[in-house]
Amino acid sequence: MTLGPAVDALAQWLSGPDPAWWAVGAAIVAVWVLPVLAVVFPVAAIGQIIERKVAAAMQRRHGPNTVGIDGIVRLVVRLGGFFLPRASQDRLVERICALPGLGLLKVLGLGQLAADGVKMIGKEDFIPAGTDGLIFRAAPYLALTGAFLPFAVIPFAQDLVALEVPVAALYALAVSGVTVIALLMAGWGSGNKFSLLGGMRAVAQVISYEIPVGLAIAGVVLWCGTMDLHQIVAHQYNGEWYSFLGWNIVQSPFLFLLACILFFGGLAECQRTPFDMAEAESELVSGFNTEYSGLRWGMFAMAEYTEMILVGCLVSTLFLGGYQSPIGENWIITLAPWLQTILHVGIFAAKFTAFVVLMVWIRWTLPRFRVDQVMRLCWLTLVPLCLVCLFGLALTMLLANGTVTGAAFGRLPAMQHLALGPVGYLLAWAIPVAVAVVLIVLARRKYGQMHPALRELTGGAS
Amino acid sequence: MSSDLAIESAGGERMRINMGPHHPATHGVLRLIVECDGEIVSSATPDHGYLHRSIEKIGECVEWPMFVPYTDRVDYVCAMNANLAYCVAVEKLLATDKTTAVQVPRRAEVIRVIVAELNRISSHLVAVGAMSMDLGAYTPFLHGIAQREGVNDIFEKLCGQRLTYNYITIGGVGFDLHTGAVEEIESFLAQFEKEMIRFNKLITTNTIFRDRCAGIAVISAAEAVAYGLVGPNLRGSGVDWDIRRDEPYGIYGELGVRVPVGQGYAGRTGKVGDCYDRFIVRLLEINESVRLIRAALKLLPPAAEKPADPVGGFQADVAKALRKPPKGEIRVRTEAPRGEMGYVIVSDGTKTPYRVRCRTGSFTACSIFNKLMKGIFLADIVTVIGSFDIVVPEIDR
Amino acid sequence: MTSAAPAGSELQAPSSKLDNAAIAERVIAAHPTVAARSSDNGQPYLLVPPAEIVRVATLLRDDAALRFDSLMDLTGWDLSKYPATPPSSDLVVAYFLHSLAHRHHLTVKVQVPREAAEVPTVSGVWAVANYFEREVWDLLGVRFAEHPNLKRIMTPDDWIGHPLRKDYAYPQSYNGVAHLREGQRFEPPPAPKPAAAAPPAAPPAPRPPPPASGGGAAAP
Repeated sequence: MTLGPAVDALAQWLSGPDPAWWAVGAAIVAVWVLPVLAVVFPVAAIGQIIERKVAAAMQRRHGPNTVGIDGIVRLVVRLGGFFLPRASQDRLVERICALPGLGLLKVLGLGQLAADGVKMIGKEDFIPAGTDGLIFRAAPYLALTGAFLPFAVIPFAQDLVALEVPVAALYALAVSGVTVIALLMAGWGSGNKFSLLGGMRAVAQVISYEIPVGLAIAGVVLWCGTMDLHQIVAHQYNGEWYSFLGWNIVQSPFLFLLACILFFGGLAECQRTPFDMAEAESELVSGFNTEYSGLRWGMFAMAEYTEMILVGCLVSTLFLGGYQSPIGENWIITLAPWLQTILHVGIFAAKFTAFVVLMVWIRWTLPRFRVDQVMRLCWLTLVPLCLVCLFGLALTMLLANGTVTGAAFGRLPAMQHLALGPVGYLLAWAIPVAVAVVLIVLARRKYGQMHPALRELTGGAS
Repeated sequence: MSSDLAIESAGGERMRINMGPHHPATHGVLRLIVECDGEIVSSATPDHGYLHRSIEKIGECVEWPMFVPYTDRVDYVCAMNANLAYCVAVEKLLATDKTTAVQVPRRAEVIRVIVAELNRISSHLVAVGAMSMDLGAYTPFLHGIAQREGVNDIFEKLCGQRLTYNYITIGGVGFDLHTGAVEEIESFLAQFEKEMIRFNKLITTNTIFRDRCAGIAVISAAEAVAYGLVGPNLRGSGVDWDIRRDEPYGIYGELGVRVPVGQGYAGRTGKVGDCYDRFIVRLLEINESVRLIRAALKLLPPAAEKPADPVGGFQADVAKALRKPPKGEIRVRTEAPRGEMGYVIVSDGTKTPYRVRCRTGSFTACSIFNKLMKGIFLADIVTVIGSFDIVVPEIDR
Repeated sequence: MTSAAPAGSELQAPSSKLDNAAIAERVIAAHPTVAARSSDNGQPYLLVPPAEIVRVATLLRDDAALRFDSLMDLTGWDLSKYPATPPSSDLVVAYFLHSLAHRHHLTVKVQVPREAAEVPTVSGVWAVANYFEREVWDLLGVRFAEHPNLKRIMTPDDWIGHPLRKDYAYPQSYNGVAHLREGQRFEPPPAPKPAAAAPPAAPPAPRPPPPASGGGAAAP
């Protein structure tokens, strides 16, 4: 028994010094699985509520705002207060529901989450004839697994990381790829041509976009000289009050560009509009999850939201200083460890939530690419851009300290990150930005001519 | 662009997909039998009739004015224009005999133009909104629908209905404008123009949207004419033809309708007659309709006491004429949002029509589908369907 | 409005526009079997013998002075209850033509006996006729010879009868499913059917398999 001290202790407590198989199983469920589930549902719920609220705000409607917990309150009062007269029961329900906290709950639409959960669990687990049984049933679990495994290496605070491995970045990239297999299994196992097309699209797209994503991560690895995410976060520490100047994203325009590429690549990997080829509601009905219902469908949905949060976490960790505060990080680390952890987790949550909001915003604004356009964007735009960035990064490092070996800078205070000094730092930004601006202006002049009728339609704006 | 990708696989093996009759992008119950090689479509055959309700047969069984509510159902997205088409046709039939000719009051004619153009706006809003939704942008669709609600609110006050109005009658309109209608319409138009600019900034000039529509399903002017395309689909191909201007009915002749045509609006990648042109022509027509409504409001004569007053009334007395209409036949066409809506009416001189035939734009638009949908991507099918603004009850009737 | 959208506020009718008499004269000169008529309320049309229709149509489309490039509508009706003089039980197929080049109209009609209702197709002349003719075949039962795809378009493939004929017998059931509840009756009651019409309550034939396998259920 080497499953971990907590599991061993619980199993031995349950059935003696040589625990039976059932005791080990129960201990594993109690110690590992239940806490994971306790994290899974809130995480997916956060994504869901953000999605609904942002969409509602953009579309000038109310969104989920009518489901409170009135029904539950009523049920509890009826059952618990059966001895009271009916009128008093009703009055009690009204009193409780009028409490300000519950009203807020209703406004936020949080009751909708509970209702959705109950609905999802209560629905029939519908498995159509003609499905490939095992593959069809297993796919949602695999999707969820692939979405959750990378969280093991994400540092949420100084000491809050489940698994410290030296190749954490590689690990995260690798295990998140498991989702592709799940999508393919779902597409194939459903026995539906729309699902099959969706699954195939998903595979082609996710595998392609792993290249720019991998290259973007490689840029950070090159810069920081380590694949350990914790080390990468530590590398972005800056001892001044303006601690954001230590972040990777402000170090070089190439890193900034790589951060954008990582974000958009991540967007493509979690199949969100404008990259939702695999679901493509108006083309493929619902793509790979057409035939799923109930909790199995819910698992795909949860996997999607989890992946969104994962992308937010990765971008924050690799480029935005991870759990560090943008200002006053040097003050935070002088606090008591428990307070530090709480602050760090909060800051980290704020960062990845911002990315989730951004993703939702993009989803409800943009139309969808076509399959070939997605592929073209990946192979003809993002991959060459990544290579240019990697080259530019290496060149910057070479000019700065004469070598391209990573981690040459160590943990230095801000502005000394580059041995170029402040002038060199500004130049390192100015030259690539100038080149990019010139290229963009030229491209606009050549291709950006808008028909006068369109200018009229948009109120004269160009 | 995509046609050069239409290479058959080595074995020539095709996959056959049933798109519809219930599919999110087929706007109702249109069914397309799609044969494709992976993502590339080799043929798409429309299959009609899922919404066939024998409206033409019903027309032979009901009296002349009783058919008006059925015309609502021919095209419920622009029921006013559908009413108008039938009523104009019957009035033209009555006009072939001096004893039965009816003079539609001037005020009713102006009201007809106002409500028809308002309904054209709301119909085009559904068209452009649904097309953007087909391409994956949901928010513009809801913004368009929100504006359509404004039109529906006006119509609800006008005639009590929000979808199938049964408002325009033979010889006039069902009710006079309600109190404050003119101000309501004007304030709606004022905020509507601002909203459309926001809408266009959101979706019309979006690069992804433009690139997905540009150069897809290009129809040449000759093809468009040969396949009987009408309305914005015809004008999208650059054919300068609008019945409101070229064969004016009602007071359209006085308003000077200006007709936008497709010009390859997408720019570098665009061609005249592609999906983007059809989309833009609809948006330009919305602007033109706004102008026409404002012009028509200026022409609106004050209401008279008697409903049948030739100037300020709203409903001519047609009961006697409809009891014994002239024997014979007539074909009249009007410009509905989906193009020509033409009625062939045969009368045997009794109080029911002998034959009512309704020719609609969506029906003929479907005839070109199979030709267009060769060598395009599966995703382009929804672009093409959306760009044609298909309304299924209009196809099947 | 945009400066780019063509203004063309009032398009003038081109001088090449012909009136109906001139069109008829030109057509009859080439095809003497064509007759110029007018309907009971004075709407002029050309009556073309069925065998001639393709040649006349081609002339109408291709002649430089006529150039009827657009087939606005193609429909038909049953004359059997129409108070025509002399009474007739023929089926009429009407072609409504329009010229975008010259902006003139023309109505062309073909009259065929209901027992042998067959007209050559004009879908080779105007592509849109393909759909119109399918509809006329489906609803009126006029067969269009050499049509590329003469299948029912509105009603199901195994539907019996052509609903827009005046002697159409309302079916009591379709594929064994009764249309009426017990004691219910159609208004108007079924007309006495001629020998040619199919029996209204056909024995429920096994439904042919749908032409395409469903995307939803078929295994990939």
